[in-house]
Amino acid sequence: MNSAMNKPGKTDENSVISIRNLRKSFGDLHVLQGIDLDVKQGENIAVLGRSGTGKSVLIKIIVGLLKPDSGSVVVLGQDVEQLSAKEMDTFRQKVGFSFQSSALYDSMSIRENLEFPLVRNVRNLSRADVDKAVEKALDDVGLSQTINQMPSELSGGQRKRIGIARTLILNPEIMLYDEPTSGLDPITSIEINNLINEVRERINATSIIITHDLTCAKTTSDRVAMLLDGKFERVGTFDDVFADPDERVKQFYNYNFVN
Amino acid sequence: MFLALADVFAFISRFFRELFLPPYEFKEIIRQCYEVGFRSLLLISTTGFITGMVFTNQSRPSLAEFGATSWLPSLIAIAIVRALGPLVTALIAAGKVGSSIGAEIGSMNVTEQIDAMEVSGTNPFKFLVVSRVLATSITIPILTMYTIFVALIGGFLNVNMTEQTSFTSYIQEVFGAISYVDIFASSLKSIVFGFTIGMVGCYKGYNSSKGTEGVGKAANAAVVTSMFLVFIEELLSLQIVSSFR
Amino acid sequence: MSTDSTKRNITVGVFVLLGIIIFIAGIFVLGGQQKRFTKSIKIIAVFNDVGGLKAGNNVWFSGVKIGTVKRISFYGTAQVEVDMNIEESSQQFIRKDANATISSDGLIGNKIVVITGGTTSHPEVEDGDRLKTVAALSSDQILETLQENNNNLLRVTKDFKELVGNLRKGKGTVGAVLTDSIVADNFKRAMRNLERASDNTVNLTGSVSKFASRLNTPGSLANQLVTDTTVFRSLKRSATRFESAMTSADQSINTLSRTAENVNKASEKLNNTNSPLGVLLTDGETANKLRTTINNLSTGTELLNEDLKAAQNNFLLRGFFKKKAKAEEKARADSLKAVQQQLPDSTASKP
Repeated sequence: MNSAMNKPGKTDENSVISIRNLRKSFGDLHVLQGIDLDVKQGENIAVLGRSGTGKSVLIKIIVGLLKPDSGSVVVLGQDVEQLSAKEMDTFRQKVGFSFQSSALYDSMSIRENLEFPLVRNVRNLSRADVDKAVEKALDDVGLSQTINQMPSELSGGQRKRIGIARTLILNPEIMLYDEPTSGLDPITSIEINNLINEVRERINATSIIITHDLTCAKTTSDRVAMLLDGKFERVGTFDDVFADPDERVKQFYNYNFVN
Repeated sequence: MFLALADVFAFISRFFRELFLPPYEFKEIIRQCYEVGFRSLLLISTTGFITGMVFTNQSRPSLAEFGATSWLPSLIAIAIVRALGPLVTALIAAGKVGSSIGAEIGSMNVTEQIDAMEVSGTNPFKFLVVSRVLATSITIPILTMYTIFVALIGGFLNVNMTEQTSFTSYIQEVFGAISYVDIFASSLKSIVFGFTIGMVGCYKGYNSSKGTEGVGKAANAAVVTSMFLVFIEELLSLQIVSSFR
Repeated sequence: MSTDSTKRNITVGVFVLLGIIIFIAGIFVLGGQQKRFTKSIKIIAVFNDVGGLKAGNNVWFSGVKIGTVKRISFYGTAQVEVDMNIEESSQQFIRKDANATISSDGLIGNKIVVITGGTTSHPEVEDGDRLKTVAALSSDQILETLQENNNNLLRVTKDFKELVGNLRKGKGTVGAVLTDSIVADNFKRAMRNLERASDNTVNLTGSVSKFASRLNTPGSLANQLVTDTTVFRSLKRSATRFESAMTSADQSINTLSRTAENVNKASEKLNNTNSPLGVLLTDGETANKLRTTINNLSTGTELLNEDLKAAQNNFLLRGFFKKKAKAEEKARADSLKAVQQQLPDSTASKP
């Protein structure tokens, strides 16, 4: 129904992220079998799908952590595959990646975790500037008191927020969330959802949210893309997609709310 | 099998490539030297001291059998400088440092910290692997020096208590028995040991399978593999050094 | 935070520095031990046989280590040139006429170069000087001396047998026997041989005792780690044997020197033209002395024979005997037996 927006083979001029016929296999496991997706500036899109269907693979390809087998990925006007190591570093400063497991560095304190991307990417920053940026980022996620703690001392929800704060410290233009609510209780999940919306408002970022949590998809996204058998079978607003009588979509919906 | 071997060679050659390419992670190297070297000092020194003392005591009866206990210092010196010092250090380090490197990098791999590092504009190979392998290659030879020193003191205390050998004559005997070849061979050997321990730990951690089980496996494999390799290298060094003697 | 990392940097710095200091201290102590860093001069000696000397072996002077062997290379057709580094501080003690010998610091110890002799009338050695060399006394050579010694003794006893045989046969009157120039010559020759044998034995005993004392000094073996205890035990045993051989050799020397004395006295009397020959031989004392002499000589021979047998049992010398002594042994034993049988007879039959 939204096929007009996703014409294969053509790159939309307004798109921040434009993916064409993307394929990726791991041995005999063909996880992505021809993905097409366009994300417009300031748009939040949720990618839904069952575990192991390659949702995370998609955003890891976008940020250049994995190489696609074929197809093109153009982000912010740059072909990710063609970037040199140096260009890749600059490119990644504009793309924030929130990992499923938060990926806080265990051996570093929260302060060191937060300043890590800053110190590594921005040269000639004064100590005061770094401290200010770290405090602001922590304040934004409401966890100022944890600044001298170690990641192992925090709860799952806190770690998720710190992870998001760490990606936000470089003021990215695109945010990629990998399962932001997985492993969290419903109340914490809602807090995270609210945080994603806050972030969107504050930095006007374009976001892709990988999730299998329908509440999360519904509250944070403008559109949802349903990944079924390695392809985006359904793309549209949340209500449109789940109005579909397709058995597989229905099953996903029911399963989510039954459990 | 060949695929795994090719993988290992690729890993090692990547290490050497990244070793010489800027930027250099000096701060992280020093941090790792602290973690690997200084934090192991007490354990390794204690072990070295005990090794020196016990080895001396256990060697005494067989020398006493033909009235040659005056040979004890030379025997201790040769055994400790040539073999025990580097070997004991390497084995303790493989257990302590190798496993922690394997587990740390393994868990960083499992919890996507390595990916996170990469998207933060940091080369995780350089930051994690190069710094750790450099740290082990630097500090394990230094720890070996400490071990040899402490073990020789342990040996002296034992000899002094039993045979009343004076410190001067002990030193004379010890240094009369060893040669430059021994000292340099031991140093080189312990650099190789250090490199092996760091490399194996990093490789196993970096290539750990996902999940918490993968972390345990990586740590375990790091210890077992590096200990085994240390012994193989000890054997090879024996062949190489004897051709110089 | 930054003070933490400063503290860490300092700790690592001190840790690494101390390790390097231990390493360097080790190098320097070792260098001092090997006199690697002291000023030295080079002297040369050319040997016919260095007996397994290696570069790095020690050079001794009056029992003190004064340098090391720097290089060993062939010289001329088959000789060996040994370059030695000698400490400058000991240069003043070594004279240009000093000798160099290959020795060892223990029976199974390392080979060493020993510098001996030298007189103050000669100037001290200079860099690049060549020292005279003395071939070392090897265990083979010691045995050879022993063998020669025994041959001499054999000859002595033969001479005596002849002499005594003549006496017993009573060729003419006693006076005739003694004025007989052949008999007198025989006697003199026997005496000379005896003296030579005695000298040889003294030399030999010296060598053996040196050998044995080295064997008994445990410290001297320290440079070689003997892993095989059996080898060591048998070595020890042979040392003990050597020692007992030495003791009996000592005994035989005593006997022999007594004999020599007696013979000397007898010959003095013989040579003395003033003393009537008749008196000499009728003199009971002289006759007794002659008899004792002959007896002593026979015991001496017997003891030396025992020594040889003991030496033969020694594994170190076994090979030597296998080659040389086997054939001779039989003949010698036979002749000794004959002498021993004849001697008591002759003395007994003598009035």
